[in-house]
Order: sequence, then structure tokens, then C-alpha cells
Amino acid sequence: MTARKTTAETSGGPWHWLMQDTMDGLRRRRALLGYLFLLPTLLGIFVFTAGPVFVSFGLSLFQWNIFKPPDFVGLENFERLLEDRRVIIGLINTLKFTILAVTSQVTIGLILALAVHRINRIWLRYYFRTAFFLPLLMSGASVAVFMGYIFHKEFGPLNYYLTLLGIPQIPWLTSSDLVMISIAIISAWRNMGFTFLIFLGGLSNLSQEVLDAADVDGAQGLRRLWSVTIPLLSPQILFATVTGVIGALQVFDEPYIMTRGGPGNASRTLVMVMYEHAFKHIEFGYGSAIAIVVFLMILVMAIAQMWLWRNRVFYQ
Amino acid sequence: MSADKKMSRRDLLKLAGAGSAGLVMSGLPVKVIAQDMVTIKVQTAGLGDNSLQPVADIQMARNPNVNVEWVVLTGIDHEEVAAKILALVAAGESIDVGYAATEACQLFAGQGLAAPLDDRITGDADQDFWTDFFSDVHPSLVEAMMYEGSLYEPPRDFNAANMYFNTNVLAENGFDVPGPDWTKDDFVEIARGTTKKDDAGNTEVFGYGWTNRLWGSWMPWIFVAGGNLYTEERAPGGEWIWDGYYEGDAAADGRGGGLRWQTPIANSPEVVEALQLVVDLWKEGVTPDIGMGTGQTLTGFYATGKLTMTPAGGFWAGRLANEGMEKGDFDVQLWPAWRNQKHQFGTGGHWLSNTSNAPDEAWDFMKIEVSHEGFQSSIFFNPVIITTPARRSYSQKDAYETTGPANSDVFYDTLDEHPSTAPIPAPPWSNPMTTIFTTYTGFATSGEMEPQQALDEMQAELESLTNREGRKYYQE
Amino acid sequence: MSTNVTRMPGDVSAAEHRKQVISHQLGRWIPLMILAIMSGVVLAPIMWTISTSLRTGVDSFTIPPKWLPTDFAWENYAKVFETVPFARQILNSTIITWGTVLGQLITAALAGYAFARLEFKGRDLLFWVVLATMMIPIQATVIPVFILVRSLGLFDTVWSLILPATPTAFGAFLLRQYYLTIPIELEESALIDGANQLQLFYRVYLPLVKPGLAVLAILSFNFHWNEFFRPLIFLQHENYPITIGIFQLQGYMMTGSISVVLAGVVVSLIPVIIIFLFGQRYLIEGIMRGAIKG
Repeated sequence: MTARKTTAETSGGPWHWLMQDTMDGLRRRRALLGYLFLLPTLLGIFVFTAGPVFVSFGLSLFQWNIFKPPDFVGLENFERLLEDRRVIIGLINTLKFTILAVTSQVTIGLILALAVHRINRIWLRYYFRTAFFLPLLMSGASVAVFMGYIFHKEFGPLNYYLTLLGIPQIPWLTSSDLVMISIAIISAWRNMGFTFLIFLGGLSNLSQEVLDAADVDGAQGLRRLWSVTIPLLSPQILFATVTGVIGALQVFDEPYIMTRGGPGNASRTLVMVMYEHAFKHIEFGYGSAIAIVVFLMILVMAIAQMWLWRNRVFYQ
Repeated sequence: MSADKKMSRRDLLKLAGAGSAGLVMSGLPVKVIAQDMVTIKVQTAGLGDNSLQPVADIQMARNPNVNVEWVVLTGIDHEEVAAKILALVAAGESIDVGYAATEACQLFAGQGLAAPLDDRITGDADQDFWTDFFSDVHPSLVEAMMYEGSLYEPPRDFNAANMYFNTNVLAENGFDVPGPDWTKDDFVEIARGTTKKDDAGNTEVFGYGWTNRLWGSWMPWIFVAGGNLYTEERAPGGEWIWDGYYEGDAAADGRGGGLRWQTPIANSPEVVEALQLVVDLWKEGVTPDIGMGTGQTLTGFYATGKLTMTPAGGFWAGRLANEGMEKGDFDVQLWPAWRNQKHQFGTGGHWLSNTSNAPDEAWDFMKIEVSHEGFQSSIFFNPVIITTPARRSYSQKDAYETTGPANSDVFYDTLDEHPSTAPIPAPPWSNPMTTIFTTYTGFATSGEMEPQQALDEMQAELESLTNREGRKYYQE
Repeated sequence: MSTNVTRMPGDVSAAEHRKQVISHQLGRWIPLMILAIMSGVVLAPIMWTISTSLRTGVDSFTIPPKWLPTDFAWENYAKVFETVPFARQILNSTIITWGTVLGQLITAALAGYAFARLEFKGRDLLFWVVLATMMIPIQATVIPVFILVRSLGLFDTVWSLILPATPTAFGAFLLRQYYLTIPIELEESALIDGANQLQLFYRVYLPLVKPGLAVLAILSFNFHWNEFFRPLIFLQHENYPITIGIFQLQGYMMTGSISVVLAGVVVSLIPVIIIFLFGQRYLIEGIMRGAIKG
């Protein structure tokens, strides 16, 4: 603001131009304020998000372990990636996890929300809402730690109760067929509180008139649910699916803590492979190449979902 | 959801209070250091911030101008600690002294992060110190700390893979702790004979248990079957140690300048046979499902009488005592003989950073750590042994007096009585090698692949890894 | 939520009510049963965790599992603080989380306002650019950010986590939605009263979007308090937050006792539960609203 004195002397100076008591001046001031207000966000995003994405693309063309100068290798990292079994399995595991975790957390969340929506007693609603929400407060890390014990084959409480029912001990985390399913169950256990709340919010905002009109039309019970309520909830379903998919594609904490990617490669996810190469073996170039695959995968999935749902989402 | 849900002033104050309490507390005490003070940063692994404080105290008492700072890095296993150190150095942080087990010794040496110690030792005015030290440390431990002719770490501790027994479970089933010359077949008999199943076929007591990692794991079976992951070759050099300090010691005969692991032989018939053995025991329900990591649940199994035998070294003596096991509840024996009785070990110690600003003070620290005073005050060896001392004189019977095991002589005998005992394979690319090893072990022990197939694929990956990395680190 | 009770399906005329009695009864009990079972599924592991955290090491493997604490081994809780610098790590989590939340509140309050209420060239384009960056996963940026953090000398400091998380596309978007709900008439009357543009922002608009700020604060708190991936890369031992502290409790060489690990889990939950008690309506509203406006 020290500029005021020097520039205000000449009536045509920038300060005057800005502070002019006209609509134009006002517009200029508001525009300047807009740029100023956006500056921290834009600068931050440029430095920490958008810029680094381009740098990642660049790094993926080098072989670099930081202790020695980088070597330009062209597309060699990507050739290696196509033949890298761990990357391919990591991709498959990640997709498998995403489908399992997202479908179960969206379905269960929806069922729970529909059920709680029908409860009249305030204290019961409060109890259920808090109960379903509680796991979301815990970190994926702590959930993974104690669920690792609960799902333990030989002494976990879960298998103990199943054996009482005559079911043989299930190798939840030590069988390559089951491990990704178990991790998806554990992840859905934590995240269904999130989808539940989204749907509960959606349900409380549904226009009662629309539902009543459906009643008059004779839509009852499951049919009403299927043909009226669920289409009306489609924005929430889209939101829960898209955020769920983006989160699930980045899965790392749970398999890293519970199984270290094992047995074999059965629970090694793409992000884990990237972490191993970049920060355990300090291969920044190859790590960047895998990071780009993660990025493209998320981009493609997000766009695909938007596109698939483009006509189906029913906005009130 | 409407706009009437304003955040009240009280709510904001609560949030602000919680935040500012944190900020006030963050004014943690800062040591004021005089200008002529020399600070050395020592990286330690596990056991809290001040596990090496006694060593630092000795050094600071001798030289008041030295200040020791700790850089604590922990991980589930050695290769993870090594990865943390790499990331730390990659992030531009400096340490003066770093810790590495066998797993990472050649890794830090090969990356040029660790400095060779040859001139420091041969040029040391106090040669009595080194004569005494080397006479107290088995040459195979020393050789395991060498890379391309130079020594990078004086060994502080080691753990050989021996077999631990829950003596109560043995007794219940009419078995005694076997003698040192027991065999693989004796082992299988005990493992099967102590396994107990309920009516539904679920195992209640397991004869044998192990976890999926590089050390321990099924690696001891590979050795006694006569195999290895890589051929064991020796780099030239090292005469300065063998002729200078081990003159006349038969155990030092034929040693060189450190091992070179550069030809993978992971799918040789011996290795396949070893994997077949442990996979069969798992399929029979003698062994519980094999998890990753270093055996937190195994300790629990063992302490609660659900497990008869497991591979472990001297480090288990104190650990089992801490878990509440009484002396006499457990014992130890050498690994059983198969085609031979070649044992495996891993050793640990500190290395000197190549970029240290105070290498002389850092070196002093390393020397004190492996001196008699260092061993006598170390919390790794006092009051109970939580890792086997590399100096023979500190791994004698009296060290295990309170905790057991009765057969504690086995620990150093594994080296002294068995000249073929060798380190686990750990080339400079040991981190990705370990990932490959545990991955394919997991394939076989989850039933996804037959041992032969798992090892064929392990071999293929080790070959391509070695082709990519090997030429950078071992001279032709 | 409790003030905003939604109309129940039964809230209709008496005649219709009778018609629905049977299906209604069925429709009442089936959901209740589902809910009872599911709340058991959710709460049982938490119960087991709490009760096992109070057992001695040897008892933690007891089969059949015991659900109520029997020996009250409180020393497990003391061991949590001896094994890893847990107190320090709780402090780290507090500083990192509140630092990030504060930074996000400031940048998002400003950016949201600019996007919602100010007119300037390129605004819509910039809005879409910012929105698009929400699609960029942390993994795609973490290696360059690591190098950046290294060259700034911020490795192993709380800033390595706070600074990169401060700009928030999500927060800017969320607050923009809140600003848009404020009637423009308020602005006009303030201008007539002689307020300048800055005053307009912090005297008129900012107080009115406090609920939005609270929503952002709580969501961001929950997310960053529970972060694992970034701290694993950017921090070490002493500066770790408690998410990694718990992981560390499993011990160097996994020597930790299960009971002690679970005691750590319980301790780490306490601050979040306190925050939740104070701010649950904002958290719940934030999640519900995120979907509606999305």
C-alpha cells in the first residue's frame, strides 16, 4: 500500500485506475481481488500437484537412484514395466480389490441407509448412525493392525466362531485366492460408514411428494425401491462410486500392513509396487513410470464412470 | 442441511485450544551446543532412542567435546531398515554412523555410502585393541562384513539359525531335546510326533513354525540340503586381516575379500528339495500358515505351548524371557544335519559414512561400541541377551544364566565347531532380491505354485535382476 | 441431523396407513434385524480390540476369545509409550493435522470466494483446471515432491506434509458451493453501507460460510489424522504420526506384544473420538452434503 502516495499523484496512474469510483473501477478491484485470493491455491497446486505430474513424466525417462547421476533411457522403463510381472499382477489385484470393495461398501451402505431411514426412534437412529460411522474415525492403519489379528487363521476370533459352526479354519490372509477378498471386506467394513451417510443424506433430502406420488401409482415395497428410490438416489450412488473407486485404486495401507503384498504377489497392489521401487530400492525413474500408470488408471476409470452414468443420473 | 448450523464461538475455541496446546508443547527442549563441540549422528535400529546411550556416555566421558545424536529408524525386518536409511540419505540427510546387518552391508558399501575401514584399523596406534578384538570374533563374521577386499563393519552381534524347542511340548510327547548330531529325519519325526489335531482336523499344537523372510525362514534347509540362492564366490583381497590378525587360525584359512553372490542357483535340485520339505509339512498341518515378517505371532504360539520347534538365534533367549517364559521351558540345538550340516547366520554392526564431517569421532564411537567396555554396558547384552554377542567371550554360558536356554553353547559353537557356517546371501542388490525370495516362497507355501515352478520363476527373476544390477557392483 | 428429522413413510393419512399395516410390520422388523446384526459386526472387533488391549501378552492368544477384559493389564498402555515415542507422535499428528487444516481453511476460504463471487477473466477455466487436479492421485506426484522437499531441506519435518497438502481443490470447490448459497442482496446492502471489497469478504461472507469451514475442517482433520502413505515416505521415527507409531508398535523384528499393539490402537482413537463428539454434526453434514451438491 506504500504505492498509494507515488501513484496517486498522477491521476492516470495504476492506483487511480484501480480505485476509480466507477463501475469499471469496482470491476477491476474485484478482478484483482479474485486473482489475489486464488494465488495461494493456484501456486500451491502448481508447485505440489500439477507441476510434479509433468516432472513424473520426465523422470520416467531416466534411470536414477539419486546417489549417482541420472541416465536418460528413453522408454526403457516402460518396456520393463510391460514385462514386469509384479506390475501386471499389481494392476489386476488393484482392480479386483476396487470392484469388490466398492460394490460391497456401496451396497451395504445403501441397505443400511434404507433401514435406518425407516427407524422412527431417535435414540435408535442415533445409535445405529454412530455405530456404522465409528470405523471411519479409525485410520486404515489401525484397522489393518487389529483386523490382521482377528482374521488370523489359527488363533483369530473370527475363525474360532466359524469352527463352532462346523466350518474349517479359513486362511483369510494366507491364501492367494482369498487374501484380496479379505482385504476388501476389511476395507469395506471401515468405509461403509461413509457411503451409509451419503445415502442417508440423500434419503432425507428426497422430496416426499415424489415418493407419495409413487405410492398413488401403486409402487410398493421392493418395486418402489427399485423403480423410484434408487433412481432418485443416483447422484449419491454416482458420488459414492466415483470417490470409492478413486480411493480404492490407491489402496496401500491395509495390504502393506497385513500381508506385505503376500502370499506370493496375491495382495501386492500397484501403489505398493510403486512404493517398493521408488522408496525401497530408490529407483526414481522406474517408480515414476509406475506412478504414471496409477495416474492414467484413475483418470480413465473416473472418466469412464462419468460417461457411463451420464444419462442415468436422475437429478431432481 | 441449513445455514442455522453455525459453528459456535465455543466450538471454535475448543478447536483452537486443542491446536494451540499442541503448538505450545512443540517447544521441545533443544540442547545448547558449544561452538567447538563435534556432533556425530548415529543411526540405530529398534529398541528406542537410547539403546546405544551407554556407548555414547563412555565416549563423551573420554572426550567432552563430542555430542552424540541418535537417528532412530525402525522396520519390520532388516531390509526395511536398510530402505529407510537409503531414503534418508536420498533425502539429503547426513548420518555419520549407520547400522546394517549382513542383509545391507554390501548394499551400503556398493552404493559408496559406507567407507572402508582397512586403513583405520591397520593404521591404528592401538594395535593391541584389534589383536584382542579379532581373536575374540570368529573370522566368518568378519568376512561377512567385507566387500571387494575391504572391511566395512566390525561385527557387533550375530544370529545363527538354530532350532528352538518348547521343552514342555517335547516332554508331553515323550521326546527329549535332541543331540547336536541329530538329522533331518529326527526333525520330521519330532515335528509330526508333537503335532496335535482336533476332531475337525484343525491343528491345535504345531510341530514346526517359521515365517517368510530372508534370514531364518526356510533358508537353513537350503544350506543343509547343500544349496544356496547364489553360488558362494570370494572376492580377492583381505590378506591384511587374515595374515595380520588371524595368523595361524585354521578357521581363517581360505577366506578372501568378502563374498560375491553373482550366479543364481535358486532352482537347483537341492533348493527344490528343501522347499518341498517345508511345503509338505505345511500341507500336512504340521506347520501353521506362513506369514510375512519376523514372527510376532510365532513368539505367541511358542510361549503358549502351541508350537514345538522354530528357527531362531540367540536373540530369542531374552525375547522369550520377556514374554514370560521360564528358564527350562525352552531349549536350543544346532540345525539338524541333512546332506551336510552347514549352518547360516546373519551379523550386524555399524558402518562409517563416507560423507561424515567428523569421521574420526564417528570411528571412535564405532570402536568403543565393539570394545570390552562397550559390550559390558550394552543393553543388547545386559541384563539379558537380546541378540548374540559377536565377541565370543560375551556369549558364554553365564550370559544366559537367568534366561536360559540350557544349551546356550550352541550359539557360538555354530561358528567355532562348524567351519562351513556361512552368511545368508546378501549382494548389494539384497533388497530387491529379498522381495523376490519372499514372493516366490509365498507362492509355494500358499499352494499357488509347486516348489519346482516357484523356484524356476524365482531363478528367472534373480537372473534378470542380477544381469541388471550385478555388473555395477562386482569387478570382473 | 436430529433437528432435521425427515418424514417417515408412515407419516401419511390414516386410510393409507391401514392398507400398509402388514407390509409395514414386516418392513419394520426386517430392517431392524439387519441393523442389529450389522451393528454387531461393526462393534465386535472394536470390543475385542479394547478387551485384548487389557490382557497380558500370554493371554492375548486365548481361544475361545474373551470379550470382556479380565485382568486389566494397564501396564500395556504404559508400554505403548515406552516402546515407541508415542507421546511425541501424538503431538506430531496434532501439529501436522491442525497445521494442514488451518492452511486448507485459509486457502479454500479465499479461493472459494473468488470462484463463487468475484468476476475476472479466465475464472471458469481456472475453476475447471483446479477441479481437474482432484483426479491426480498422490502417487503421481510423490517422487517429484520428495525431490522438492529434499532440495528445500524439509525432509523429516512436519512441513513436508503440511505444505503440499495446504492447497485444496476439494476445499475450494466445497466452499464455493457454500458461498453460492448466500443471497446476493446481502452484498448489495453492505456495499450501500460503504463496505469495501475486503470488508465485504470478511465481514459479510466469511461469517456466513462458517458451517462450510467447519465441514472442511472436520473432513480434513479426519483424513490427515489417519494418513499413512505420505508420512511413511517423508518422515522418520521421531517425527512419525501415530498411524505409523501403531505400525511400529508391532516392533522392530515384530517383537511387540499383541496386547501392547492393541493398546496403541485404542490410545490413537481417543483424540479422534473427542473431535468427533464436538464436531460430529459437521462431519456428518459434510459427508452428506458433499454428495448432494456433487
